[in-house]
Amino acid sequence: MKALIIDDEDLARAIVREHLAAHPDVEVAAECANGFEAIKAAAQHQPDLIFLDIQMPKLDGFEVLELLEAEGKRPAVVFVTAYDQHALRAFEAHAVDYLLKPFSKERFDAALAKARALQSAQPLAPPSTAAAELASFARLGKPLERIVVKDGPKVTVVHLDRLDWVQAQDDYVLLRTEGKNLLKQQTLASLETQLDANRFIRIHRSYILNLDRLVRVEQDSKEHRDAILRDGTRLPVSRAGYQRLRELWEGA
Amino acid sequence: MHPLLASRARLGAYLLGWAPIALLLTGIARSQGWSWAEAGALSLPLCLLAALLFLSAWFLCRALPLGRSLEGLSAHGAAWGMAAVLMGGLWAGLAWILARVLAWIPGLGALPQRVGTALPVLTGLGILLYLASVALSYLMLAQDRAVEAERKGAELQLLAQESELKALRAQLNPHFLFNSLNSLSALTAVDPARAREMCVLLSDFLRRSLGLGERRLVALREELELAKAYLAIEQIRFGTRLKVAWTVDPAAEPALLPTLLLQPLVENAIKHGIAALPEGGTLAVTTEVLEGHVVLTVNNPLDADAPTPQGLGIGLRQVRQRLLGRFGSRARLEAGVQDGQHRVTLVFPLEVEP
Repeated sequence: MKALIIDDEDLARAIVREHLAAHPDVEVAAECANGFEAIKAAAQHQPDLIFLDIQMPKLDGFEVLELLEAEGKRPAVVFVTAYDQHALRAFEAHAVDYLLKPFSKERFDAALAKARALQSAQPLAPPSTAAAELASFARLGKPLERIVVKDGPKVTVVHLDRLDWVQAQDDYVLLRTEGKNLLKQQTLASLETQLDANRFIRIHRSYILNLDRLVRVEQDSKEHRDAILRDGTRLPVSRAGYQRLRELWEGA
Repeated sequence: MHPLLASRARLGAYLLGWAPIALLLTGIARSQGWSWAEAGALSLPLCLLAALLFLSAWFLCRALPLGRSLEGLSAHGAAWGMAAVLMGGLWAGLAWILARVLAWIPGLGALPQRVGTALPVLTGLGILLYLASVALSYLMLAQDRAVEAERKGAELQLLAQESELKALRAQLNPHFLFNSLNSLSALTAVDPARAREMCVLLSDFLRRSLGLGERRLVALREELELAKAYLAIEQIRFGTRLKVAWTVDPAAEPALLPTLLLQPLVENAIKHGIAALPEGGTLAVTTEVLEGHVVLTVNNPLDADAPTPQGLGIGLRQVRQRLLGRFGSRARLEAGVQDGQHRVTLVFPLEVEP
């Protein structure tokens, strides 16, 4: 069994490594100090099991999971975190198990046993919730602050104040940011639920707009309106979208 | 929106207030030899007109708020006077038109002539009534402001209570505690001597923060010692990622300040600075004394890819509030980003225990 240990703290990785030493059938393929290393190592080693911290620089544990899922990789995941139990209950269904720091040898062995049992019951059933939704649970309802996109071998982190607008393209969303287009596999409706409704408005069936980019709305014909953005881009505004914009303006 | 138009009850009460004025006007007309029909037919609609017309005084008053001093009052006075003459004249003009219209009714044929002679009196009355409306409007505005101030006061008080609570909770950040215990758990196997050191540091930090939580004011020295204990623990956890640079002016050490002001700054610097950077960086704490004031700064590197923070977070707002709560305008808190470094500066008067 191949495993990855992903945690930004040396000592936290050391303790997982130490516990794994008692299980010679589990090979530690790599140790990763951040999310980017983890994505690279996962592509290289195809691990069966990952021990994953949640709070890490650049990419957090949920984002790592989301990116792995987008590539169709489903290693068994054991979260290792100091998060409190309430937040963890939300993603219990998704992970094999979770270890609250600090944990005992017995607790660690139990988590590993669960992972083993799951692996022998291959193929792994897809989780009931997508990683992205899982992450929004764990944020306890707080809106998203950044979006991670895997663009070939490259991982891009889009901070939401740099996101201009989003367009639906079948099962994908096209993200417009700093003059570039990025594609991510997610539906517009699912992304909409994660965004801050005061900053990002569904102006059309196919478009979500960063309100900060909007200059004005122009009416071309009786039933057709366009949103004019700071850079001059025109995006269509549906009747329902215009209604949402008006509600926001009148509420302000 | 005009406050009197905002509710039917208020508008009703306002219009009722005009009834005695209508009666007075009728009385005056009667004393000048007008018939009951002439006096009544003119004064009732005329007062209704005035009631609606003079609502405009409120908008004038809102645009010309009264200051605390008498400065600018002459300019305000000129504006009131001009508006009053204008509205008084307009009102008298409307009375004249009204009289012309009413003259079509049999028995009121003499009305235009009677109003003609009474025009100066009507104008004067209009001016007086308009000025009374101005006074009433200022009263309403003052009352609105008092209600607003009361609401704000209550909000501030709530915020202050919250910050106190937050300050108490900040002593034991569970995330910090569990991560430290996890480091300790790892160290027991790989470096028992270091593990023992960590136990001592953790106990030292806990003892200090428990002691500080009970007091309102502490010497900066104690705040610095608490921060040192805290950062020593975080240095074990983050290893080489966290470097700490201290520059402490001994003259600043006895300065008194509200309890646990430095701790949230240092915790923020770790959370948003060092912990967000794969390679970590240097956290710098500096104190100096300048012209009778203590200048305390906490500096940390930021992730260049993350958006720069806008405004103050809740933690910093609370620090500012507690600082200003103690020193008022003699203290200030500044926070900002420059060259990839986040810097928070506290400046407060150097006051020591008597």
